[in-house]
Amino acid sequence: MLNRLRPWVRNKIDNSLFRLRDQDPGEVLLTMRRVFIVPTRAGLSFTALLLLMLIGAINYNLGLGYVLTFFTGACAVVDMYLTAKNLASLRLAPGRAAPVFAGEAAQFELQLNNRTTHDRYAVWVDFHGPAAPRHVTDVAAGAGALVLLSTPTARRGWLRAPRVRLLTRFPLGLFRAWSYWQPDLAVLVYPYPEPDAPPLPLSGAASEDGHGQVGLDNFAGIRNYQAGDPMRHLAWRQIARHDPALGGQLVTKHFEGGAVAELLLDYAELPRHLDEELKLSRMTQWVLEAERRALPYTFRLGGDALGPALGDAHRAACLRALALHGQERAA
Amino acid sequence: MTAQDQRGTAPATAAASAAAAAAAAAASTPASAPATLRARWTRQLTRDKSDTLLLLLAALLVLAPHFAHLPLWISAAAGATLLWRATLTLRGKRLPPLWLLLPVSLLAMAGVYHSFHTLLGRDAGVAMLALLLAFKLLEMHARRDLFVVVFLSFFLLLTNFFYSQSIPTGAEMVLTIVVLLTAQLTFQYTGAVPPLRRRLAAAARIVAYSAPLALLLFFGFPRIQGPLWGMPGDAHSGHTGMSDTMAPGTMSSLARSDEVAFRVRFIDPEPPQEQLYWRGIVLGDYDGRTWHRIGPQPRARGTPPATVGITVSGKPVRHEVTVEPSNQRWLFALEMTDPGLALPGYALRNSTELELSTNEPIAARLRYEASAYPEFRIQADADPAQMQPWLQLPAGFNPRTLALARQMRRPGAAASALAVLQMFHGGPYAYTLDPPLAGRDTVDDFLFNSKAGFCEHYAGAFVVLMRAMGVPARVVTGYQGGELNPVDGYVTVRQSDAHAWGEVWIAGHGWQRYDPTAAVAPERVRHNLARALPQQSPFGIARLGELINFENDATSWLAQLRFRINAVNNGWNQWILDYNPDRQRSFLEELSSAYANWRTAAGALAIAALLMLARTLRARSGRAGDPADAAYAAFCRQQARHGVVRAAGEGPHSYAVRLRAMAASEEKKAAMTQFLTLYGALKYGRAAPGARAATLRALTTLLRDTR
Repeated sequence: MLNRLRPWVRNKIDNSLFRLRDQDPGEVLLTMRRVFIVPTRAGLSFTALLLLMLIGAINYNLGLGYVLTFFTGACAVVDMYLTAKNLASLRLAPGRAAPVFAGEAAQFELQLNNRTTHDRYAVWVDFHGPAAPRHVTDVAAGAGALVLLSTPTARRGWLRAPRVRLLTRFPLGLFRAWSYWQPDLAVLVYPYPEPDAPPLPLSGAASEDGHGQVGLDNFAGIRNYQAGDPMRHLAWRQIARHDPALGGQLVTKHFEGGAVAELLLDYAELPRHLDEELKLSRMTQWVLEAERRALPYTFRLGGDALGPALGDAHRAACLRALALHGQERAA
Repeated sequence: MTAQDQRGTAPATAAASAAAAAAAAAASTPASAPATLRARWTRQLTRDKSDTLLLLLAALLVLAPHFAHLPLWISAAAGATLLWRATLTLRGKRLPPLWLLLPVSLLAMAGVYHSFHTLLGRDAGVAMLALLLAFKLLEMHARRDLFVVVFLSFFLLLTNFFYSQSIPTGAEMVLTIVVLLTAQLTFQYTGAVPPLRRRLAAAARIVAYSAPLALLLFFGFPRIQGPLWGMPGDAHSGHTGMSDTMAPGTMSSLARSDEVAFRVRFIDPEPPQEQLYWRGIVLGDYDGRTWHRIGPQPRARGTPPATVGITVSGKPVRHEVTVEPSNQRWLFALEMTDPGLALPGYALRNSTELELSTNEPIAARLRYEASAYPEFRIQADADPAQMQPWLQLPAGFNPRTLALARQMRRPGAAASALAVLQMFHGGPYAYTLDPPLAGRDTVDDFLFNSKAGFCEHYAGAFVVLMRAMGVPARVVTGYQGGELNPVDGYVTVRQSDAHAWGEVWIAGHGWQRYDPTAAVAPERVRHNLARALPQQSPFGIARLGELINFENDATSWLAQLRFRINAVNNGWNQWILDYNPDRQRSFLEELSSAYANWRTAAGALAIAALLMLARTLRARSGRAGDPADAAYAAFCRQQARHGVVRAAGEGPHSYAVRLRAMAASEEKKAAMTQFLTLYGALKYGRAAPGARAATLRALTTLLRDTR
């Protein structure tokens, strides 16, 4: 019973006390209500010191001792206010987040804006977790600061930015103020590219009109080597000739494009016994490989048919389809 | 976004930030020669170094006042340690290892023990703390150590008040707090560090902000009368004050001290100066040189304790006395003070000689209220046989005085006393602070040879003469007079007002005060000691003496200045140093009687309402031009409270899109959409003048639903 109650209580506390929201849309203003504050260990020691000073002042009847004790005590209270104020009224806005492959660290760009007239110093920002925050930044008055936070990724699909914790101990370090922020930001995680994937199914697929094999056999001449050309397409004979007209450079055999357009990456063609994720992983690797080799390819996954085409937009569309395969399209 | 601070991927390295700070410092200084030097100096110091030097400065500020009372070697050791630390910092060397620090600090501890013969006393404790702070500066590795140093400094700052609580000490305290906070603040920066001037200003601002709360706490925090436990023996020392014996020279040594004995504020009109006799100790036992008290008379078992018949008449003079700590038990009360007075923290003792004393030495400033009756009679109808102890004279001393007494004797005690006073008044007797040294027969020497003396000589000789004439007499020591400060109305009684006079018992009239000094130097009683003493000419120049002493003239600007300084000092003492539970109670009562009424409450309410109004007006100002804009601003504020803030450049349309994503009821969302559509149409569309008013009304109505 108690065990079932605990998450409920925790949830209630999170919702009401810490104002944890599923999502803070758009730019968020950190109101004082969202800033929480507790004394640090130094702050607790300071309290003990104040007590000691008060006892000393009482015992020895030191009028100035009282003044000192109350002054330093009041300074601590002012520090509490200033610490909270160092965080409050900051405006938080989500920035960009570039897609990554599973296993890579996802990078979230977060924008801290300070439209007030006082500078903010030493604001620590990190994803909410047990560890101490790793990133610290100053936000000058009327300016903004960009923080790049990274989090590891494991699964393909949309990854929402974890809850962000902002923390500050400025100015005196006696108090720790913090605030939570759930940025309205998600990153697309592509499947992990299979490291030792089989070569591109260049010859395995039939052309649409069913006329025999297609491949790269339709030799159309040679051209200068470009980075990314496969090794086995190098025109060794020509290279060996050291043709001065060609500047003695590496040359690559050029094949007629018509056949290359027939490169088909079809999910359905993959062996059925393979795991779904492995298949997606292999497709990912093939997309990357095709892009690397500049081979226009057609992409088929479920109902989607993309291409044939080549380039960043095509690649992104294919990878996106792979990442979201079997998942809801919306974030 | 004007400037984007592209930091945050990794904590900025200290070197980089220090370089930035140095560059900023270099950029901000003008290109004059000293400024360039300073810039170079700043650039050479890395952030760590300058932070540490600032901390060292703070520690030095804390330690410096202690150097005045610490043994020389401790001051030297602490100073040398700070210097060592500064050198290490500037040269960028490593801190000394623990195996070196440990023996050195143990050695220092042994040294403290050697100097103070204890490690537990107050002074020894302060010395240990001072050394601890100095050595701790050499052993700083983590951020925690910084806090330890700062906190230790705060405590050491407090211990300084054992030795001085003057106004300059208070000012120095505020300065030290600012520097300490600056040091603490400086270590909190993680990125760019503002120049020192701005950091000092930030710390000063913290102190200034804290002042109202500190004042409130100071006056309102429930006070407890210390001490909480028995204090070490050296807790209070070094006070001068009246001793309970009197020998030639006792009073004149006191008279050289300008130290304040007590201050008095008269609630009723102040009696004339020559009636201000502050009765202290009554001396009756004379051994030929020194006067002692006659202790309590041993009485037979069963007899009731001796009663002292006092009759008082006239109106009492109420006054408030603030006694400076004397570390003695004697109270000096205006004659004749009603012994039924309340002493906060002490029990009052009252002797048969009408001396007042406390059960404990007065270790702290003590304030009490008393009332005195200027007209009084003591033991008027006592049995003359009881007066035997007040007639004793040592045998074999002062033969010429005894002979003189026989010769001067008149019928009636009062006539005899008057005869002696006339002799002093008419004879060639001088009043001086530096009487010649007397031989074995002190009274003989004074009366017949030197004929010059201070009050103790006159009072002593007077009482000896009276006793020799068979009249019970005794010496009373205390203070006489006091200086009225016209600025705050306090009468200050200093050690230099110490005085001794005589009391003579006359059957039917009781003990009567006779002051032989008044017969010799009436100025002493009517004004003060400085007036009564013959003016000396410094360096033999008479005019210079006038110049130096013209502060005796109460109208001179120097005297005015002195009065003002005294008034400030007294205010400091009364309100800061001696704000005790008693004072707090009366102060708070005064406050509540003055302000706890409906008028104050109404005033406070009005002020609060005005502030609220001003705030609301300020929030609305600038948007008040167009009612549609005002409604829109209200709407945006409303939604901002729910967490969706309109960005600065965001139009109603894109804001509406974001608002739709907000978690809210469908009705509210519909109202919001309708509001924004209406607003857009009103603001950017073409509306008929008549429809405009209706739309505005609709907007206002919708605002209720979008809440």
